[in-house]
Amino acid sequence: MNEKPDAAGTGPDEESGRWVAELRAGHPRHDQAVARLHELLLRVAFHEVSRRRSQLGSIAGPELEDLAQQSADDALMNILRRLDDFRGLSRFSTWAYKFAVFEVSSKVARHAWQRHPPTVDELTWERLPDTLSPRPEDRLELREQLGALSSAIVHLTDRQREVFVAVALNDVPIDVLALQLGSNRNAIYKNLFDARRSLRAGLAAAGHPVLEEDGAAR
Amino acid sequence: MSDHVRHLDELLRSADGDAGCTAGEAILDAYVDLELAGEDPAAVFPGTAIHLGSCPGCRADHDGLLEAARRFGDAAPPE
Repeated sequence: MNEKPDAAGTGPDEESGRWVAELRAGHPRHDQAVARLHELLLRVAFHEVSRRRSQLGSIAGPELEDLAQQSADDALMNILRRLDDFRGLSRFSTWAYKFAVFEVSSKVARHAWQRHPPTVDELTWERLPDTLSPRPEDRLELREQLGALSSAIVHLTDRQREVFVAVALNDVPIDVLALQLGSNRNAIYKNLFDARRSLRAGLAAAGHPVLEEDGAAR
Repeated sequence: MSDHVRHLDELLRSADGDAGCTAGEAILDAYVDLELAGEDPAAVFPGTAIHLGSCPGCRADHDGLLEAARRFGDAAPPE
């Protein structure tokens, strides 16, 4: 499904237009503009690497700096190559920062996967995690619902079960799982979406529909 | 709605109209700038709003971009 890319904005604002003009080869301030943009991308990348630090385990300071530096460098190259793609749906800075965030996202996932790939336990269905497991004091209806969920998980396809168990039950980052399975985020998300749909349908068919926040059962 | 039921609802969230990862990537910057302008991005990009509610990867990217644009968005090119 596509979102309408022209649904927002009416073309570049004045400042964004100047960014694009100055970044083009041959502009008198090209080198200064490139240096200024790189400096901004580096700040964004450092901030984003720090924000995602929990995924990186015991990483040393120089490695963090290296990840941020590489992300900023790669983002800058992509931006300069794709200047014509900027249509002013956002400020130029937000459009450019998106490249830095995506680079950090991808590099952090690869680093995390190389250092700490998902364990067999994180990919294999055994039982519901403690946060969901029914306790003796839980109402009978809830215990039956969670029992039906466990049964429905068994009936997912192998890939759907693997993805659901890893991402939804064990909090394996979706991009780390994608690397582990030789796939990509979009495909893994589709597996997750289909698994969730199937589980909801299974619960409903077993007489234990899951209510959504608006109170409706779907 | 109890915490347990809410948790189950979130665990199985799969709403109709989900735009998917690829569609959201293309417009995430516009989505974030609408948020920062105090507008409702869900009114313009409903499929991405739904997607961000259930895709942990895209939500993390969104949160990072929103923070970056808020902190470093005021950035003019050289005079």
